[in-house]
Amino acid sequence: MNTVPRIERLASVLVDYSTEVQPGQLVLIESSPLAAPLVLAVARRVIEAGAHPQTRLAVDGLTETLLAHGTDAQLQWVNPARVEDYERADVRMVFEAEFNTRTLSSIDPERLALAGRAREQLRDRYLERAAAGELRWVITLFPTYSAAQDAEMSLAQYEEFVYGAGRLDEDDPVGEWSRFGDGLTRLAEWLDAKSEVRVVSDGTDLTVGVEGRTWIPCGGKENFPDGEVFTGPVETSLEGEIHFSFPASFQGRMVEDIRLRFEGGEVVEAHAARGQDFLDAMLAMDDGARRAGEFAFGMNEAIQEFTRSTLFDEKIGGTVHLALGKAYPESGGQNRSALHWDLVCDLRSGSEVFVDGELVYRDGRFLPGIY
Amino acid sequence: MTDPRIERLGDLVVNYSLELSEGQVVRIDGLEIAAPLALATYRAALAVGAHPYTNLSIDGLLELLLESGSEEQLAYISPVHVSEMETIDALVTIWSEANTRSLTRVDPGKHSRYIAAHRPLSNRRWERIASGEMRWCGTLHPTFAHAQDADMSLEEYESFVFAACHTDVENPAAHWSEVAQGLGARAEELGSVRALRIVGPDTDLRLGVEGRTWLAADGKFNMPDGEVFTSPREGETEGEIRYTFPAIFQGREVEDIRLRFEEGRVVLAEAVRGQDYLRSLLDMDDGARVLGEVAFGLNYEIDRFTRNILFDEKIGGTMHLALGAAFAQAGGENSSGLHWDMICDLREEGEVYADGELVWKAGEFLSEPVVHA
Repeated sequence: MNTVPRIERLASVLVDYSTEVQPGQLVLIESSPLAAPLVLAVARRVIEAGAHPQTRLAVDGLTETLLAHGTDAQLQWVNPARVEDYERADVRMVFEAEFNTRTLSSIDPERLALAGRAREQLRDRYLERAAAGELRWVITLFPTYSAAQDAEMSLAQYEEFVYGAGRLDEDDPVGEWSRFGDGLTRLAEWLDAKSEVRVVSDGTDLTVGVEGRTWIPCGGKENFPDGEVFTGPVETSLEGEIHFSFPASFQGRMVEDIRLRFEGGEVVEAHAARGQDFLDAMLAMDDGARRAGEFAFGMNEAIQEFTRSTLFDEKIGGTVHLALGKAYPESGGQNRSALHWDLVCDLRSGSEVFVDGELVYRDGRFLPGIY
Repeated sequence: MTDPRIERLGDLVVNYSLELSEGQVVRIDGLEIAAPLALATYRAALAVGAHPYTNLSIDGLLELLLESGSEEQLAYISPVHVSEMETIDALVTIWSEANTRSLTRVDPGKHSRYIAAHRPLSNRRWERIASGEMRWCGTLHPTFAHAQDADMSLEEYESFVFAACHTDVENPAAHWSEVAQGLGARAEELGSVRALRIVGPDTDLRLGVEGRTWLAADGKFNMPDGEVFTSPREGETEGEIRYTFPAIFQGREVEDIRLRFEEGRVVLAEAVRGQDYLRSLLDMDDGARVLGEVAFGLNYEIDRFTRNILFDEKIGGTMHLALGAAFAQAGGENSSGLHWDMICDLREEGEVYADGELVWKAGEFLSEPVVHA
């Protein structure tokens, strides 16, 4: 039995494995005061590694105040200190820890989009530095009441779920993640040689072109927990329709039962049983918002439940997800947008995936011999 | 329901203290325990069209660095913080602690070295404030920790804090404008004084203030406020002083300090409790043994010692003398990583002579200053 408290094990995985913090590095920690135990545990580990922790902690109410009462100029203001953060940091860590995941529910989606577009340059810059190998980043979640509530669990149950998905109860979590990452790397290498993926399920028959694109294995380096392989699809290639049976959460908003039709890579029809206005506003954010920036297989078998948190939901073993908007440059995707919205499609029953015409995946699993 | 006294304080800091205007960037510093006031300040700044952002920390981070950091880590200054100090137009510091004694047991030497290493950053801050490029205001949000230090319940302490700031009534800015006029006149009057002599129990101290500028602390840099101060001439302080109130620095209390000055420098320092800490601070750097400030506390709504310098140094009827960094805008030249205010209660027996003339007795000036309109 591993007797080190889970939070310290998590801190050590994030610092030593995910971001491999080196002496002298500037490590930016973004979170809220609710995650204080994790912030302190990680700061301690960062100091032990000879590096320099620096925090940016948000409190509930600030973003809401800005979005509800700010002028357009204030909404679009990009804080030079944040520009400097992303220019200077060697490592960026984000610990999601919300006081209330629905704080922004009543904010006008147009204003959310306005603020989102203004901050696009910030995200682009850190992803650019990440792709160039100048900056390491990782996003994780610290269990809070609000996240447990979204998952329809008690806090104690949710903690079990979160730490279980991170394999933090194992004797050697880093070893587990390394082995898991190796398997995903082999799968990604196999997919790299392919040109086309077709997903068929109830309400879904979508063809995605991936020729010449790079599949990225995600074994706990940039997300924690992790478990997916993704690529940036050929921008004009998507054809057909897809039905997302899970609600899609974005900036505290729930959109239910989304159906999209693609033609020539672009969304030409979008329906939602609930949240249609928000869906329309997000698709209208900019030119790139109607195209897919990411297509991925969720591969973490320790995550089986939908919990209304993208970090976990997109990795549910037996799902695929497609993100509208911004592509990750390292995948070869070129789509640009202020949006990056992951939509998760459950394939665990009555589904098939064909790669270059060959059946390779059924009911949520790759066929034996493939993975 | 938000406490209207907190809303008024946020508004007072933004509109009266900082006089923030549209398009200016203001950073709000503090611990997350100050969130209600940080939010009120943020809201007020947003309302004037400024760009506020918060820089909140949590209790324990600094302790961690001071306990576990290497010398290199202690001395590290983030380039982001350097850049922020160059670009922000205003800074609000909310000095609210979750536990005022968090750092009591850290190695005082390490703490001093941390402060000394961060001097370039604080120097730059004071430089930009002095040149008028940046505004700054320090204030406080009442917490259990501060109430406990003041020997009060939180509710009593809130009443004390908001009364001292005048945010327990509507339109506190009008009150502070009036206070500013009186303090301004007093500062102008003191400007012609060459030498001060402070006499009290175990105290007979002579200071040179010729050519120095007296400044009115009228709620622009601190809220609450209420003092007139200057930086005395560096080489001229002579004599002895005894501080009857405990002197507190970085959460550590030193009791019953007696100092002897010769040619401006502390040559003898004794304390009933905390003597080692006192001496380690005096040895922080070359300027730590020299006075950087002399001041009269003139906020008579602050009538008791609460173990918090923001309030204690303004207690009506006291004087305080700070060791360390002087104020450039007062004409002071002393430079140090230290600025440690120590308060001398003159309310019972104190006397102050200006160029030989008795001007202050038992905690009050003997005459009203002439207010020049």
